[in-house]
Amino acid sequence: MGSWLDYTINGLIIGNIYALVAVGLALIFGVSNLINFAQGSVYAVGAYIGWTCFTYLHTPLAVTALIVVVACAGLGVAIERIGLRPLAGAARIAPLLATIGISLVLDQLLQIVFTPDPRALTSPLPNWRISVGGGTIGALDLLIAATGIVSAAVLYGFLRFTKLGWAVRATAQDRDAARQMGVNTDAVNMTVFAIASALGGLSGLLVGMYFNHIDPAMGFQATLKGVVAQVIGGMGNVPGAIFGSLLLGLTESYGVAIFGSSYRNLFSFALLLLILVLRPNGLFASARSTPPEPMTGSFVTPNRPVRVPRWAIVAAVVIAAAVPLIPAIPYVLQVLTNAWLFAMLAISLTLVAGTLGQISLGHASLLLIGAYASALFALDSHWPVWASIPAAGIVTALLGTALIAPSFRLRSHYVSIATLGIGEIVGLVILNWESLTRGPMGVTNIPPLQVGNIELDNPRAAYWITLGILVLLAMMQTRLLRSHLGRIFRAIRDDDVAARAHGISLGRYKAIAFAFGGFAAGISGGIAAHQYSYINNETFTSTVSISALTMVILGGMGNVLGAILGAVALTALPEMFRGTAEYRMLIYGVALLLLVRFRPQGILGTT
Amino acid sequence: MRLSRRTLLAAAAATLPAVRARAAEPIMAGVSGPLTGPNAQYGAQWKRGFDLALDGINGAGGVKGRPIEYVFEDSQSDPRQSVAVAQKLVADPRIIIELGDFASPASMAASPIYQRAKLVQFGFTNSHPDFTKGGDHMWSNSTSQAEEQPNLAGYAAKLGFKRPALLHLNTDWGRTAKDAFVAAAPGLGMQVVDVEGYLAAEQDFRPTLVRARDSKPDGLVLLSYYADGALISRQARDTGVKLPILAGTSNYSPKFIELGGQGVEGDWVMSTFFPGDPRPEVQDFVTRYRKKYDQEPDSFSAGAYDTMVLFSLLCAQFGTTREAMQAGLLAIKDVPSVIYGRVTFDPATRRVLGANYKLLQVKDQKFMVWDGTPPAAG
Amino acid sequence: MTDLLECRAVTRRFGGVIAVKPIDLTLREGEFLSIIGPNGAGKTTLFNLISGHDVPDDGTIVLEGVAIAGRAPERIAAMGLARTFQHGRVFANMSVRDNILVGAHHRLRAVKPRLPGLGALAELAMALIRPPAVAAEEAALNHEVLEIAALFGDRLTPRLDQPAHSLSYANRRRVEIARALALRPRLLLLDEPTAGMNETETAEMQSIIGGLKARGQTILLIEHKLDLVMRLSDRVIAMDDGAKIAEGPPHTVRQSPAVIEAYLGHRAMGEAAL
Ligand SMILES: Nc1ncnc2c1ncn2[C@@H]1O[C@H](COP(=O)(O)OP(=O)(O)OP(=O)(O)O)[C@@H](O)[C@H]1O
Ligand SMILES: [Mg+2]
Repeated sequence: MGSWLDYTINGLIIGNIYALVAVGLALIFGVSNLINFAQGSVYAVGAYIGWTCFTYLHTPLAVTALIVVVACAGLGVAIERIGLRPLAGAARIAPLLATIGISLVLDQLLQIVFTPDPRALTSPLPNWRISVGGGTIGALDLLIAATGIVSAAVLYGFLRFTKLGWAVRATAQDRDAARQMGVNTDAVNMTVFAIASALGGLSGLLVGMYFNHIDPAMGFQATLKGVVAQVIGGMGNVPGAIFGSLLLGLTESYGVAIFGSSYRNLFSFALLLLILVLRPNGLFASARSTPPEPMTGSFVTPNRPVRVPRWAIVAAVVIAAAVPLIPAIPYVLQVLTNAWLFAMLAISLTLVAGTLGQISLGHASLLLIGAYASALFALDSHWPVWASIPAAGIVTALLGTALIAPSFRLRSHYVSIATLGIGEIVGLVILNWESLTRGPMGVTNIPPLQVGNIELDNPRAAYWITLGILVLLAMMQTRLLRSHLGRIFRAIRDDDVAARAHGISLGRYKAIAFAFGGFAAGISGGIAAHQYSYINNETFTSTVSISALTMVILGGMGNVLGAILGAVALTALPEMFRGTAEYRMLIYGVALLLLVRFRPQGILGTT
Repeated sequence: MRLSRRTLLAAAAATLPAVRARAAEPIMAGVSGPLTGPNAQYGAQWKRGFDLALDGINGAGGVKGRPIEYVFEDSQSDPRQSVAVAQKLVADPRIIIELGDFASPASMAASPIYQRAKLVQFGFTNSHPDFTKGGDHMWSNSTSQAEEQPNLAGYAAKLGFKRPALLHLNTDWGRTAKDAFVAAAPGLGMQVVDVEGYLAAEQDFRPTLVRARDSKPDGLVLLSYYADGALISRQARDTGVKLPILAGTSNYSPKFIELGGQGVEGDWVMSTFFPGDPRPEVQDFVTRYRKKYDQEPDSFSAGAYDTMVLFSLLCAQFGTTREAMQAGLLAIKDVPSVIYGRVTFDPATRRVLGANYKLLQVKDQKFMVWDGTPPAAG
Repeated sequence: MTDLLECRAVTRRFGGVIAVKPIDLTLREGEFLSIIGPNGAGKTTLFNLISGHDVPDDGTIVLEGVAIAGRAPERIAAMGLARTFQHGRVFANMSVRDNILVGAHHRLRAVKPRLPGLGALAELAMALIRPPAVAAEEAALNHEVLEIAALFGDRLTPRLDQPAHSLSYANRRRVEIARALALRPRLLLLDEPTAGMNETETAEMQSIIGGLKARGQTILLIEHKLDLVMRLSDRVIAMDDGAKIAEGPPHTVRQSPAVIEAYLGHRAMGEAAL
């Protein structure tokens, strides 16, 4: 069939584009063991620098590309030097969070400087095209492919044949050993960031030209696809990243061919999970790789958590419960109710990410599951709301655990990527499973919170209900953490190899933690559904997952009280910055960076 | 840059009580919409439309000597924030109408709060058929897909489409539009041969286009926003799809041509307004918009503009209380509008019928009214 | 006495390196067997194969009549095998007490009701409800922690509530051994328990391990300090380059030309040890 040739070519063309970002991500991961969430933002910055050059300086493409490369290399150096190097001694999670913060700041800056409108980035290349199959390939496609291959080749040569390249490889293999051998690992890191960012900026320029479209939010999607591609190729494997990108492009193209456009990303993420579960080290790793070396450095920052006396907690709860009694404005109650709902998600995440050490980047999908479960129980099965919400908690616990279970054998970053993928898959399944979920139209007319005939549909009642449930969940979780399970979870987090040596079965205890956490998150989603009266697949997006993670880290990983505090702070902060309108997310990003820099263990400390 | 400087000036002005004391007490609208986040571009367009309308209204002395102002609360079009914004606006006694939010999840999550407070929620971009069913205080002048799509299908038939393939954004909006189009097609002697719902944030449409092409259509219909529409059309040409392309009203934007370039040359776009439209409302809007912003308006800024004009007339004719807004919307007739000929709400659906639909064509990188020439046999 | 552990032709290759060449090993109940050998001889790799942290490419490993090669380490631990790690793997952010309690994990009964299929849920429920039986079990274990800590004199007892990362290196090694003892192992694997300790500390450790032996504990020990090996072992196996080069009573092995040769071949190590 002629169309299959077209699908193949189209898959390779888009794969080609993913490769540009994936190579930069792979390089940084290979050396710094870090998923650089800022890579996509550097890519967007590169595109905008290119646009500025074309529009105002009227530079030819080669000069523009050179300017972009130099400027983005400089940006990469700055990111490494200012944002990441100071975190060298901190826990492994800190740099990851810093890259998220940096990406937030860069995206917001772009938006403020260039307005959020998309812009055309018109390619100055001659518009000749050659026909292949039913379609055509243009000069730009070839340039992009050449850039991908040449940059991989140059990187390969650099790593193999230069002294600095040798140092980079030594650092990638064993940072501590390299340092002892006299390698200046800081310089290596900086070089790697410069190279990766230069490449990132150049890709932004080329991809912007390819689509004739740039916008300040273009980075996030690029990072997402780049991460998927490099996992397929093997994390940190540069040639693998190119291969992974092409495979991803082909999968998407064939997926569309067979099932239709609306399923497109479902295939990318399904492929991602499949590879993670079956070949966690990528397609190119030897069949039976050596067992993982002991992780150097501990997962959480060694620290002494702040001891909050019991009376203070009781007092805080009493005060919180009394807020609606003073003639408070409903807006404050609503913001706090949101904070309590977010806090349920945060204590759920702090259990799995903080106590158990499995950083989930897809936690918002639990809210979606809970919201849909409760809404559909209430509407389709006519359950009363007081029954549908706890039922939603149970459904979320079971379904969430079942979804993540195949990934239980993964460790560290792979868990994060798997959960990211699962989160996206949940959203896409909800979008496409129309007979159950009503697809993109969403679920309307969800009944409000009520018990019997008493409508609790006012800010005060909603506040008390959410606060009450939160306190209950938090108490249960605290009790859980004091039991043998708390001990086991922490043991798994600190050293899963040693934990297994003492008879702890990882699967069983990860399941218990995810189920317990899923319950709290499902309840939160369920309540939200009844509060909003309308939900659809976009009600809780991946940004919610990232917010929840920042709350958890802000409060102190594993710290129940900290998670609640983090939720209140990060719900209230953007509200407080409301007056600054367009600037508020920028301020939020900067605040996040400062926090990671100066108190990586969180406000109340990790437990 | 322009926007942000404005905001700062506005903020500075708000902190100067002297300025406010001198002027008469302003009439306030609350806006809930995206200023940051992935939909920020639409919030920015809203502001342009609002501000342009207010220049005219307040420049002419406001309403009964009082200026009209608005507070724009950024919700990122996120339901968590739009409910908080709703409580904030509801609790602010100065605010007598709420405009927005942008996307349905954010708007409809906030509806119960506005309904309870009996504050009109005027969702001027909310085409979700259930939006105005959220309560009797939910109103919308967003073009109804039930009205728009038969018009689009009518133009498709006029262009000679018999077997169109349809690409739509797979959101509540795109889905509603698609369903309405597909329902209208048979009556016009058309059969939709392929429907492709693509994901928001998608940029690569080549495989989708191959799939559409393989269903052997005689035309493509795009129910997309202008940015996706431009991408789809460009990539159609790159993948060798030479079919005539007809795009819905949300593609009518100068950005469609800017982003699409030669790839959108010859495309047909249906629009609710057109700068060449001789009606004075349109001419006034378009010339002032060009002058103020040095760019062409689009359907989002036109919608915002119309909405602010409507608000000023409600205040002028019915008073400046929340109750007056609700009563006024039920009673008001024949409001001049860029998008509609004259606006009158149907009290049962709380929506407007009778938008003007024109068929434009991109010729030499400009929108021109279609001259009636059918597409060359492809 | 019966054989507690029996390895037959156990082999492990890493790419081109054969870390463990087909090796046989038996250990009787109550016996104290030491493995010596220069760096890189394959001792730790052999331990990993026995404890389930690594899977042999060839050969069989039988623990109390059950073939365990390839079994998950947690299942082997549940059969009564405890081990320590050469480089020390305490749970850094947990208190000394909790570290030791984790060792007793597989002995928990009351909190882990045996319900087929629902075991995990029941365990969660028990942890939350904490019925008297569970509380009693926890109290008994806490009491036992004190006893185990007391084995190490006043090294651990005053520090039971400190986080493990705050301990000295030697104390962390002690915590690891205490944690292994809490499992009440039928077989205890110790990988260089005195590495990094000074003479006094080594002597102290020697007497502790001697005490365990006197209680009848079966022990498999890897150790470079030959003095300690000579004093405690019933039998010694020497390895070099993945292969067993000598086996027998301590003094015979020490005098074996192959062993001397192996150590001289690794000069630095040899001088330190002999
Ligand atoms: N995971 C692994 N991957 C590749 N090679 C390994 C691995 N583990 C061990 N080796 C190799 O196997 C050989 C045996 O190592 P092992 O750690 O068992 O030695 P050892 O006798 O314990 O030495 P030491 O006295 O230094 O602890 C060495 O050559 C080592 O490099
Ligand atoms: Mg060893």
